Amino acid sequence: MADLLSTQLLFAALVTGALYGLTALGLNLVYGTMRLLNVAHGEFVMLGAFAAYWAFTLAAIPPLVALPFIVLLTAAAGLAIYRGLFRGLLRNPRLAERIESNSLLLFFGLSIVLQNVAAAFFTATPRALPYLDSIIRIGDLGMATDRLATLIIAASVTLAIVLFLRFNLLGLAIKALIQNREATLIVGIDVEKVQRMSFALGFGLAGLAGGLVSMLGQITPFMGFPYMITAFVVIILGGLGNLTGGLIAGLLLGVLETYGVALTSTNYRSILIYGVFILILVLRPQGLLGGRRIAR
Amino acid sequence: MTGPRASSLAIYLAAAAAMALLPFLAGTYYLGVGLALLSWIALAQSWVLLSGTTGYISLGHAMFYGLGGYLTVLTWQQWPLWISLPAAGFAAALAALLLGWPVLRVRGPYFVILTYGLAELMKFIVIDIEAKLGKFGRLLMGAPSLETLYWIMLALALVATLATYLVRRSRFGAGLRAIRENEEAAETLGVPVVRFKLLAFAASAFIPGIVGGVMALRSAYFEPFQAFNPVTSFTIVVIAMIGGSDDAPGPIFGALLLVILQELLWVHAPELYLIILGLVLIGFVLFVPDGLHGHLMRKRDTSGNRPRERSGERAA
Repeated sequence: MADLLSTQLLFAALVTGALYGLTALGLNLVYGTMRLLNVAHGEFVMLGAFAAYWAFTLAAIPPLVALPFIVLLTAAAGLAIYRGLFRGLLRNPRLAERIESNSLLLFFGLSIVLQNVAAAFFTATPRALPYLDSIIRIGDLGMATDRLATLIIAASVTLAIVLFLRFNLLGLAIKALIQNREATLIVGIDVEKVQRMSFALGFGLAGLAGGLVSMLGQITPFMGFPYMITAFVVIILGGLGNLTGGLIAGLLLGVLETYGVALTSTNYRSILIYGVFILILVLRPQGLLGGRRIAR
Repeated sequence: MTGPRASSLAIYLAAAAAMALLPFLAGTYYLGVGLALLSWIALAQSWVLLSGTTGYISLGHAMFYGLGGYLTVLTWQQWPLWISLPAAGFAAALAALLLGWPVLRVRGPYFVILTYGLAELMKFIVIDIEAKLGKFGRLLMGAPSLETLYWIMLALALVATLATYLVRRSRFGAGLRAIRENEEAAETLGVPVVRFKLLAFAASAFIPGIVGGVMALRSAYFEPFQAFNPVTSFTIVVIAMIGGSDDAPGPIFGALLLVILQELLWVHAPELYLIILGLVLIGFVLFVPDGLHGHLMRKRDTSGNRPRERSGERAA
């Protein structure tokens, strides 16, 4: 059993937590503004990871350089999906009536399609990127460079998003939409545009998370869905639409998972995640951090 | 409150008779296809009993299927089939009752993901148990013949279809549909919401438990990843969406189309199967949200004759 007090384990927990926070932030943005749960969120993490993999393998572009392009690509895909699938759904009153279940089924279909298209094109063989594998030592803490880079990027992007939501006009509009839809319409904010933007931002963040994940672990067509589940657990823990809550919850889950696995074995990883998920929903469905729908 | 028209009743009876005659007419291959068709009908009808009526979309019916399969396999050659199969059903229903109490308190996307999560949790628990027992897949010796399994499955499909039909026309069904339209209003009007939801959840788990047992015997092999495969849950939802989940004919239409799709694709392009299934789901949500049967009923209604009380539900 690993030494529970080692800085090594703490570092691992932070990296995992930062990634979870980032993935959940994207999911939370779309859920918060539109009340649509993007079950295909994880598939865009997967696509981001594959984009990084192929850019590196085919064109020798390092993932860190490819990251901005991956974000643009997945954000554009988000826009296309919004225009192609959801605008029609929102405008058709017969479909909008059951928007919650209909959108869920749509996203679910999309997720199955993307997984299997990826499997058809890239095969189901797990892949990994040999990139930034060196180790930086500070005292007795050894940090793999790719993990350190992941932590720094995930944390700074998250911080940037938080600042964006606090000080930028569009960011404030997104926050307003999360807090109160009717009031947002009344004060004359272009809700359609804000929705479109948070859709693009949410999908872009999924792509970013994917690009980062590609450096750390295995890349497979089916890697996405567990990420979506984890991100969903995180936003439930933090409270739906509560962005800061989600970040704290992401770290919490990262710590819980890393230490839980260290105490037991990797076989229990899934049992642990799903167990936490079910416990939370049963005991406190409104989330650990308060029940009000807030977006700080 | 009306029954089906005489003409459509005759068609369904003829179809049931044809399915009953299949073991005498078809070879092993087509009997296998028939078994698959009946199993999907039984599963989708059970799903409709909960999700079609109440709007609580379950993405975890693989849990009941897998549990039933596991129980049947554990008791194989220790209990006779006529005990172990019903026991599989009751075990699945009991699991639904126990889980339903906390699980049915959440709805919408929470419920969908929670049911999915529970099925996955159950899968990993069974994998863990099997690993501790040192079993990695179990072979079943001396499983019953395909004909026997086919008869059992035919009975299950008929019972499930009848159950959907009867519930749809009962006070119980009316209460469940009221929950779908507006749960608070239903409660205010005196619908015992909690009890009805629990009952529907347990009822919708019973037959999938038995189907899981029969299908485990059919493959004569048990492996948790296969038994608790989320694709099973997904397929059930797609069938209900294709056919329509408002009445008993819907899942039959959906299962028929799905099995045809499977037969066409599994031979020629298995890697396309799930892609096309996903596209079919998207297409139906966008363009035929009531499913084939619902769509036909709507067409009939708008073409001038309105034989049924279809007002309150799915208002256009």
